[in-house]
Amino acid sequence: MPTSPEGTIAATQIWKRFRADPTRQSFRAKAGHLKRVATGKGRRGWRWALRDVDFVVEPGESVGLVGINGSGKSTLLKILARVMYPYAGRFDVSGRVGALIEVRAGIHPELTGRENILLYGTLLGLPRRDVASRFDEIVDFAQLEEAVDRQVKFYSSGMQMRLGFGVAAFLEPDVLLVDEVLAVGDTAFQQRCIDRMRAMLAGGTTLVFVSHDLAAVEGISERVVWLHEGQVEGDGPGREVLGAYRGALEHVAAITPTSTGPVQVVKAQVVGPDGDAVRTQGPVEVVLALRATQRFAGRVCIGFSEGPASPIVLLRRDMHLSDDEVTARCLIERLPLPRGRYFLWLGVFQAKGELLPWQPAASFDVIGPDLDAGPAGIARLSPVHVASHWDVGRT
Amino acid sequence: MVARWRQGEGGSAGAGVAVVDGPPPELIFRRVLHPLAMLRELWSRRELIVVLSERDLRARYKQTKVGFAWALLTPFLMMVVFTIFFKRVADVRTGNVPYPLFSYVGLLAWTFFSGALSKGAVSITQNLTLLNKVYCPREVFPLASVAVAGVDTGIAVSILGILFVIYQFMPTATIVWVPLLIAVQLAFTIGITVGMSAMVVYFRDLRQVLPMILQFGLFATPVGYGLEEMPHRWWPVYSAVNPLVPVIDGYRRTILLGHPPRFDLLLIGGTASVLYLVVGYIMFKKVEGGFADVA
Repeated sequence: MPTSPEGTIAATQIWKRFRADPTRQSFRAKAGHLKRVATGKGRRGWRWALRDVDFVVEPGESVGLVGINGSGKSTLLKILARVMYPYAGRFDVSGRVGALIEVRAGIHPELTGRENILLYGTLLGLPRRDVASRFDEIVDFAQLEEAVDRQVKFYSSGMQMRLGFGVAAFLEPDVLLVDEVLAVGDTAFQQRCIDRMRAMLAGGTTLVFVSHDLAAVEGISERVVWLHEGQVEGDGPGREVLGAYRGALEHVAAITPTSTGPVQVVKAQVVGPDGDAVRTQGPVEVVLALRATQRFAGRVCIGFSEGPASPIVLLRRDMHLSDDEVTARCLIERLPLPRGRYFLWLGVFQAKGELLPWQPAASFDVIGPDLDAGPAGIARLSPVHVASHWDVGRT
Repeated sequence: MVARWRQGEGGSAGAGVAVVDGPPPELIFRRVLHPLAMLRELWSRRELIVVLSERDLRARYKQTKVGFAWALLTPFLMMVVFTIFFKRVADVRTGNVPYPLFSYVGLLAWTFFSGALSKGAVSITQNLTLLNKVYCPREVFPLASVAVAGVDTGIAVSILGILFVIYQFMPTATIVWVPLLIAVQLAFTIGITVGMSAMVVYFRDLRQVLPMILQFGLFATPVGYGLEEMPHRWWPVYSAVNPLVPVIDGYRRTILLGHPPRFDLLLIGGTASVLYLVVGYIMFKKVEGGFADVA
């Protein structure tokens, strides 16, 4: 059998299933199961978590893994970490695997930070002296300082996460699997984690990065694999796959304006000049038609986003609403968004509460140039296109 | 390859739940376990067993005030209780040996076994969060529990020395057989502990049943009394089912009485122990792949 170089992930045709009924592990449940089998009253139901997934990664490659909750991302990572075995398929991961699946991997609350570093390092398969030689780096990175000799149960959750990430990242694995860990740390630490991952990538480590923070995924991984209901829905260059994924999220966050509240959306549109296409740095008009159950003074907020509820651009206007239809037009003279699909989010609020909850009301496509791509590892939080002019010459 | 869909079969998974046909049978993943590769991997990770048992010892004694003295107290108090009840009530024959010494030797062997089993049986379930994140040969967890019990027993042996001084008793030269007895006891203890730890993952009720079984075992094993108290013709069967019988008897004969162990019983017990070990270990390796699935 040819041995692949360290850091290769070769998983082909992976299938994994779980029990569909969350049976309690008790004698009674087992007896019930045996009875059902004996009387032939049906087999136990299984739910496929992964179906025929191919996941092949070259050494030193950085792959982002995206998908909605329950799409099989964590299961795939667990199989790659050899924690779980697939039901079917062939897989081979060569080299040492460092996995950060859920935040507090391997951390024992009764032990001190120092003892935990040793324990986790040994679990990863490193000899004691190798762990000891990297000890200072880990403590330094995790900013634990004197807390390293305190029991971990007295750590804040941020400290526990920093310790976990520090250990996984500094024990020099050939493959690093990172599952949604950045969600816990503060912004400064997130950036340092990303810096560290970039440094490891430069050092030849293979990285598989799972996150719902699509901007971070785009910044770290050139290649993105999109899992949906246990199958590979997309696999290719980051921007392409993420674009398709964002587009699919639209169906998940269905644009169905609510009609139960005091304010109803009759119409919500984003249109270019004279009904033409919307262009980057071009004029664009948001057209709203709202109707209320009675007279209200409310603050109408609109925002553009790539999908999530946090908008890139937010605009607002106080206005009076009544049971007659009120039409509002908002003209933006130069739209600073690059090419892509965007969502119009809309909400109407009062000091006391909301008249119309914050919700996606429409989607629109922008035609225009792509944003300039940055070097790998620089995460762009939100895409904004700024008109610019370069002048380069000798002085 | 395209997955084929069909509707859920007659009420099995609930109406309307789509069931997918599985992968082609030739793809089904089979773990190949080579006994030698298995042991080699375990040996390469021996440091992990040390670190894990260190962790258990530290974590345990950090929370308690008396600390390592607990390892002494458990068998010592049992000895006191046994001396009061067994000796007074049942009048056990011990030869020329003072009863506290006689029972303490048995209790040492028993507390090692019961300590290893009671901690080891839950070692997998207690470490499931860890098992779910990092790969390592899973048997290191029950083995670490056995190691912890070994350390506890080592500490408790010091009381045996004190008892020797108090009763002006000298261990005899036949003590050279003790390593053989320890080997048999280790094989039995590891086999049962490793096997039980895997079973507890799938049958959580065992956790409740186990203390009862151990309680029963304490009286079903000649710990507080001698082998002579049992019918002679049952000795071989008894030794096969419970290899601790010839082992404890052996400890007493070699350390206290100056006789060699009963080799016929020890052979039966030793063979049984190796069987327990092999069966327990193989069973563990067979089911360990599913640990993460039921977590």
